[in-house]
Amino acid sequence: MFRQKLLVTGLMLLAGSAACAQGRAVRTETSSTATAAQKPGANVRTKTLKNGLKIIVWSDPDNPSISLFNWFRVGSRNERPGITGLSHFFEHMMFNGAKKYGPGEFDRVMEAHGGRNNAYTSEDVTVYMDGFPRSALETIFDLEADRLQYLSIDPKVVESERGVVYSERRSSVDNNNAGLLMEQVQSTAFVAHPYQIPTIGWPSDIESWKQEDLERYFRTYYAPNNATLIVVGAVTPEEIFSLAEKYLEPIPAQPAPEPVRTQEPPQQGERRVVVRKLAQAPLLQMAFHGFNASNPDAPALELLVRILTGGDSSRLHRRLVEEEQVAIHVEGYRSAGFDPGLTWLLVDLPPGGDLGKTETLLDEELGKVVSGGVTDAELRKAKNIVVADFWRHLETNSGRAQALGTYEVFHGDWQKLFSAPTQYEAVTREQVRKVAEKVFTKNNRTVGVLVPEAAAEAKKEAAR
Amino acid sequence: MKVFMGKAALAALLVASSAGAQDAKAQRPAAQQAQVRDAVKLPKATVLELKNGAKLLLVEKREVPMVSFSAKVRGGALGDPEGKEGLAALTAEMLQKGAGSRDARQFAEAVDSVGGSISVSPGREGLDVYGQFMSRDTALMVELLSDLLMRPRFEPAELDKTRERMVSELAAVKDGDLRGIIGTYFQAFHFGTHPYGRPVGGSEASLATLKREDVLAYAKAHLGGDRLILSVVGDIDAKKLAKQLEAALGGWARASTPAPVAPPTQATKGRRVLLVDKPDATQTYFWAGNTGIARTDPARVDVALANTVLGGRFTSLLNTALRIKSGLSYGAGSLVMRDTQPGAFAVSSYTKTESTGKALDLALEVLASYRQKGMDDAMLASAREYMMGQFPPTLETSLQIASKLSELAFYGLDASDVDDFAAQVASSDKARIQAAIQRVVPSGDDLTVVLIGKAADIRDVARKYGTVTEMSITDPHFAPRAAVKK
Repeated sequence: MFRQKLLVTGLMLLAGSAACAQGRAVRTETSSTATAAQKPGANVRTKTLKNGLKIIVWSDPDNPSISLFNWFRVGSRNERPGITGLSHFFEHMMFNGAKKYGPGEFDRVMEAHGGRNNAYTSEDVTVYMDGFPRSALETIFDLEADRLQYLSIDPKVVESERGVVYSERRSSVDNNNAGLLMEQVQSTAFVAHPYQIPTIGWPSDIESWKQEDLERYFRTYYAPNNATLIVVGAVTPEEIFSLAEKYLEPIPAQPAPEPVRTQEPPQQGERRVVVRKLAQAPLLQMAFHGFNASNPDAPALELLVRILTGGDSSRLHRRLVEEEQVAIHVEGYRSAGFDPGLTWLLVDLPPGGDLGKTETLLDEELGKVVSGGVTDAELRKAKNIVVADFWRHLETNSGRAQALGTYEVFHGDWQKLFSAPTQYEAVTREQVRKVAEKVFTKNNRTVGVLVPEAAAEAKKEAAR
Repeated sequence: MKVFMGKAALAALLVASSAGAQDAKAQRPAAQQAQVRDAVKLPKATVLELKNGAKLLLVEKREVPMVSFSAKVRGGALGDPEGKEGLAALTAEMLQKGAGSRDARQFAEAVDSVGGSISVSPGREGLDVYGQFMSRDTALMVELLSDLLMRPRFEPAELDKTRERMVSELAAVKDGDLRGIIGTYFQAFHFGTHPYGRPVGGSEASLATLKREDVLAYAKAHLGGDRLILSVVGDIDAKKLAKQLEAALGGWARASTPAPVAPPTQATKGRRVLLVDKPDATQTYFWAGNTGIARTDPARVDVALANTVLGGRFTSLLNTALRIKSGLSYGAGSLVMRDTQPGAFAVSSYTKTESTGKALDLALEVLASYRQKGMDDAMLASAREYMMGQFPPTLETSLQIASKLSELAFYGLDASDVDDFAAQVASSDKARIQAAIQRVVPSGDDLTVVLIGKAADIRDVARKYGTVTEMSITDPHFAPRAAVKK
């Protein structure tokens, strides 16, 4: 079976910290494979090619499946009115044909060699993910190099792909009430910073991207010096560096893209957005301006979000769902990108639910955290949850490629991945309370509500 | 961070499996030989059967100090009395709402405080209980799991609250992405009064009627040591844990009734259409299919290969036609749902309201042509590589391995289902696959079609595909009453 020797070192950190906190002895017995007294990340090697592409390799010789993630520093924050959604659209176009491998060939060849791929776009990055057996390694490099160097942007293919993306928008936004409300809240929460742009793009832009927009975007952002390549699995760093030199180093570097300079000015009062729509159940969402990924307060905020919404014993779940029964689901998460993003509280109400009462109760709970802070037990619990989750994500090759990329790209150094548990451990109750005071204030938030309309009324509205 | 998965488009559910022993043929390409050689093997488990009939499977996998478990408790929605759909699901929820010496809040605290997890999800034929803890908390895990299974409290106030919330969740889910709910409509309409037609999570109508006595009766009838298969994988001492588990679970009484058995399912004849009206929809979601195969079907590897080519991957025939070539949809695929009896086999996609007919026609054309022509050599070679290459990551984590062990034991299968998988795929035969296609892929004459969309605009289109039954998305059932009663 697969052995994940290196993971052990990281997990030992966690085991130690969590155990100490509960007043138990740190386990001293170790299994045969757990004795590797290696420094965390000892099997990770890096190299930067002459064209600026940084490569990070995490070897695990016993795992025959390889994950290759290519991170590009481009997302919807690099867009402007007229080309909203272009980063995401480009993510689609990267699969639509190059020089050696024509339209459809990238996927066809990859799958025929036992591989599969996917990709995602956020406000900050676009990430391409390949998972394949060892036997496909060189083919994958050939495929990736072809599209990075010679992508073709065929107008006919562009037209067809618009339909695909619009269908994606319909599924995740237009015909999905929670997605629709989030889009409205996010675009209201920012007045200056391009985080106001929905990653999927506004409908009129999806319909009108121009050929030159696409060509310019490719040249600007899909340059080796704007990317980080991560490979995890049964490979040696030497063979990956050698393949990268052969296939990727010939791709020329480009001038660094223009930085995003706009900063969101401090919010000076609450904003509200109302969506009236055919629905069975109302929704309440709150978005607070938070921090960027590398902000020293980010771990405290993450722990606070867990204390509020992580698990059935969390504060908001207990109060809103179990005790007062005004909500059927509460969720919280924070974005952690290049620039300060939003921290979200999403509350699903039952049909006929009372939006006003729910908001009052939510305010009350947030007020309690700001004035009274959190307890030792809550903080301990949140640390255990966060750190256990954190290492659980490193159980798979794709999880490791995602984690290494996150720390390299957003924190500036993949090695910070391995000190994350220690960082969480160091957070104090007072830090959490101060973060609550800073973030969870009314002046710093955008409140969104989705108010259900009955079918007949909606029809009348539409007929006007 | 709002993230869009640009390519994760397939609604397809490809559950790979392998048939009985068949010799791998020689003359395979080097890559395939390498893949067969590197094929993932299921670790050998320590297997115990307790006096009460509970089956335990334990695997030491000590690279990380964590322990995962997967339990199956036979019964599930098959144990729901008629009209009380969702009873197993409500019971499953209630198992997590207080057990042993802990009330609901204390139970949640006990799990959360050590960074652990336990969840119970209802299935068609069993309840699935999953969990993961740090290995230092193994004793606590055993305590919580045995409390949950053997000593649930079913407190009346918690039960009322949970039931109300489940009813509301069903209404709310219809406001969301309809890809998540269309399968429930399809199965309810297609299987009708057969237990496979029951919505596993219940309907708004059926859940609302459930009482505490119903849950107590379900628990008495369907929870018990003889119904349990429990797999534990991770940083454990198998011998020591076996003793702990025997002490904790050995006293669990047998369920008071024999495990329910699903009657055989059959393919239906003719075409029937269910149109679910959602007046504000700008996109139509559809499934079209019939009855496919069981989990233990001897041709399951052939069917999996057939499904990979038809709609189980990005370059599949369906996704190529509806997404890559025409841009009609973000995704199109086919899926095989397998239980002890044959479940649904369906093609699925979605498209803007105006192109509903065009997309559905295209999907049915692909289906018909595939049934007639099958796959060519290049498609077969590619599908083999793809399935072999993508199988190992499905058994990467201790939770995945525990789930696989429980699943195999549940269906009476053994490790060869995993161990011989690569060799089976490598030695697959085109003629045999074509026979599987003929048997499993439905003919265009015999189809159940379900559409969710704006009925005012697609009613006439729907009529082209068969006799239309219509219902509203706000209807508290998942199939029109008349259709279910037949």
